[in-house]
Amino acid sequence: MTHPLARLAFAGVLAVLGFLLPRLLGGSSLVYDTLVAIAIFSAMSYGLDVILSDLGEISLVHTAFFATGAYAAAILTVTYGFSAWTALAGAVLAALALALVLGVITLRTREFAFSLVTYAAAVVCMNVASNWDFLGGSDGIVGIPPLDLSIGGIELTAGRSAEFWPFAYLLLLLTLYVVHRFRRSRLGQAALMVHMNPRLATMCGLDGNRIRLQVFLLSAVISAAAGWLYAFQRAYVGTDLFDTYFLVLMLTGVILAGRRILLGPLLGTALLLSQKSFASLGAYGDKLVLGVVLVGVLCLCPKGLASLWPRRRAAAVTDAPANTNPANTNKARFPSPVWERGQG
Amino acid sequence: MNVAQQLVNGIVIGHAYALVAVGWTLLLGAARLVNFGHGQMYMIGAFVAWWVMAATGLPYWLAVVAAVLLGAALGAVMQRLFLRLTLSQDLVNLMIVTLGFGQALEGAAGLAFGPKPQTLASPFQEMSVHLGPVWFTVQDAILVGATILVFALLYLALHRSWLGAAVRMVAEDPRLTALGGFKVSRIYMGIFAFEGAAVAFAAALVAPRTPILTSMGFDQVVMTFVVVVLGGIGSVLGSYVAGLGIGLFTALFGALVSPAYTTAAVFALLIAAMVLRPGQLAASGSFAR
Amino acid sequence: MSARLEIADLRVAYGRAEAVAVDRLVVEPGTLSGIIGANGAGKSTLINAVANWSRAEPRVAGSVRLDGEELTGLSAEARVARGVQLVPEGRGVFLGLSVEENLTAVASAGSGRRAWSVADVYALFPRLRERRANLAGSLSGGERQMLAVGRALRMAPKLLLLDEPSIGLAPLLVSTLLSTIRDLVDDGLTVLLVEQNVHAAAEVTDVLHLIERGRLVAGGPVAVMRDDPRIVEAYLGANHG
Repeated sequence: MTHPLARLAFAGVLAVLGFLLPRLLGGSSLVYDTLVAIAIFSAMSYGLDVILSDLGEISLVHTAFFATGAYAAAILTVTYGFSAWTALAGAVLAALALALVLGVITLRTREFAFSLVTYAAAVVCMNVASNWDFLGGSDGIVGIPPLDLSIGGIELTAGRSAEFWPFAYLLLLLTLYVVHRFRRSRLGQAALMVHMNPRLATMCGLDGNRIRLQVFLLSAVISAAAGWLYAFQRAYVGTDLFDTYFLVLMLTGVILAGRRILLGPLLGTALLLSQKSFASLGAYGDKLVLGVVLVGVLCLCPKGLASLWPRRRAAAVTDAPANTNPANTNKARFPSPVWERGQG
Repeated sequence: MNVAQQLVNGIVIGHAYALVAVGWTLLLGAARLVNFGHGQMYMIGAFVAWWVMAATGLPYWLAVVAAVLLGAALGAVMQRLFLRLTLSQDLVNLMIVTLGFGQALEGAAGLAFGPKPQTLASPFQEMSVHLGPVWFTVQDAILVGATILVFALLYLALHRSWLGAAVRMVAEDPRLTALGGFKVSRIYMGIFAFEGAAVAFAAALVAPRTPILTSMGFDQVVMTFVVVVLGGIGSVLGSYVAGLGIGLFTALFGALVSPAYTTAAVFALLIAAMVLRPGQLAASGSFAR
Repeated sequence: MSARLEIADLRVAYGRAEAVAVDRLVVEPGTLSGIIGANGAGKSTLINAVANWSRAEPRVAGSVRLDGEELTGLSAEARVARGVQLVPEGRGVFLGLSVEENLTAVASAGSGRRAWSVADVYALFPRLRERRANLAGSLSGGERQMLAVGRALRMAPKLLLLDEPSIGLAPLLVSTLLSTIRDLVDDGLTVLLVEQNVHAAAEVTDVLHLIERGRLVAGGPVAVMRDDPRIVEAYLGANHG
């Protein structure tokens, strides 16, 4: 599987199988609903994934990017009657604008300061959304039309979940491709370096703040695109989009399988949402399961379930840049505490 | 508008903010742990107090004691769960794990206590004191008094006692603390138990002011985050001052500008403070002062 | 009578890299032994392993005995309780605590050993008494080392492990500090000292061990070791004699 063509073929087969998955699973509307939700929410999670895995920070504002995409789609189609394509452009622009403001604000904050500011930003966004009539206030916005992405003579519309699946799946594939390319791009490599060894990155002439900002913008666009599609699927947007449940879902999805594994967030999200669809314990029970899974994974195997599988572990290790000082592997992976930093 | 009354309201709310924040301040200062499950621990404290009164008919003050004991136990459970991450100072994973812990608590509380709003009935909530143009409830007075007491005791304990020195040592350098012959995990146990007990105590005193819901966790304590950060992370006196300041700010902003945007305004204040003075967030420097 | 410290087949590794492999090292009671070697030779790793203490997470295997009692498997704080006291390199005190708090906030010493009182420490280092109310963070490098040693004495060590106490100190301070330690040994303390400053170490120690790439390559009474060609060439050079 080292040959690039072989890899490409393998990815192609996997992609086709993935597309046929709902039919292979029986094609009931529950299966379609679940798989559409998995596609959309894992696409959303990839936005957070690049922040968490590649920058090593926890952003708590990604629910707001997701909501921004959804709200932009709702307002542009319902209030102004624009097409779904325009709504997509609007969603991306709105998320970029929000991410730019937040990115500049949070540039100089790290670890929990970064998380707290992003959390504060999410609270402000939710507060604004539930009070501003333009955004529908606490009632939200209802009556979002069915998705219509027709170009010229080609009719591309979707109402029910079964019709929605190709669009959700395409969004997911696109997201996977973007994240894959990002990790191999100069920006992705630079981000990892800024995360693992900021001092060395600075000495190599990398502008850490600029790189962080760029990654932040990229991640916002990914989550917003997912939110855009979600608005059409649900035909309604409201302040429940800001619910912590989504945030915890994203985080659990990202860490469940393991960080910096391309399919990790997809598998994590799929596991969690499948439980919710096929083995639900009610709203409270599902919350409990989600929380227990998250705590369990981090306390028992903080590197994710994939680390229990020796072959994947080796792959995950070689994925990260070699760390020459074995004593520092632990420290380099995560920001070191203040009292250790002063000594270097 | 009665400005004096708004000031009184602000002082009461401010002390509530500070009391809710005190455990987290210590936890953040000493273990560098951002507890995003703090709100759910608050919710559990309020519901345990309510349940004790509703199910057993015990008086309010005993319900407060029960909530505090259960809160301390919850803190101890957290310590057992998070010890490995805390010792290795894996801050990113610690933050995520507390989010999951809060989510689990919320789910469990939903299953145990149901979706209906409840009222934690304190007899002191019904008694009010009128002083000239202003009034407040006896519960308010108890809240303010208890907050001042908790902060004073914590400050003294940290600075005048052997135990406090141990906590400050762990905050500065947990590994070096072991060379002083201390069992670091036991000191962490005390810190986590204090966090649990303090937030439960705060919940039992503050919750009678409003109906309680199992989903209230995050909303009820959003201000705590602002208090802890604006107070200077880990600073005990700073939290008190910040709590009071934000209480006054929300009371006056709500009365003079817009009650709906109060939370947004406070958080905008926080963001502004962070942008203007990022150095303030340099953790651990101001711990315990 | 058994030796104060007896190390056998000690192996310390970080990840897959073995940092220290010591087959045997003995420290007799009431002596001052020095471990010398180049930067990165494994000096600190070795004495940290004796205390079972580290800022990284090494894997340690082998036997460490104190007065014949096996210490393997005991945590750092349990070893402190038995009298193994390490003063780590660089940061041995709490900068956010006052000088006096640094001396008082220690676990009480095990039974049957005489712990130094705070007054004893002040008598040994009068400078610390003058600065008792100051934060340790405001002390100079030399004062911090005094405080670190004083703090260690408060816990009544049977074996004091000193990791590079002279690092970053002016030459005069180095000799003052080391001669104070020599005096403590003459009064009965047992010390194992790690030093990069071979000249200074040779002045005060009874026994010297040379460590290279994690292994002890030479060891013996300081009078003999002074003339060992490996030490003369690599460390003492032209200055010697």
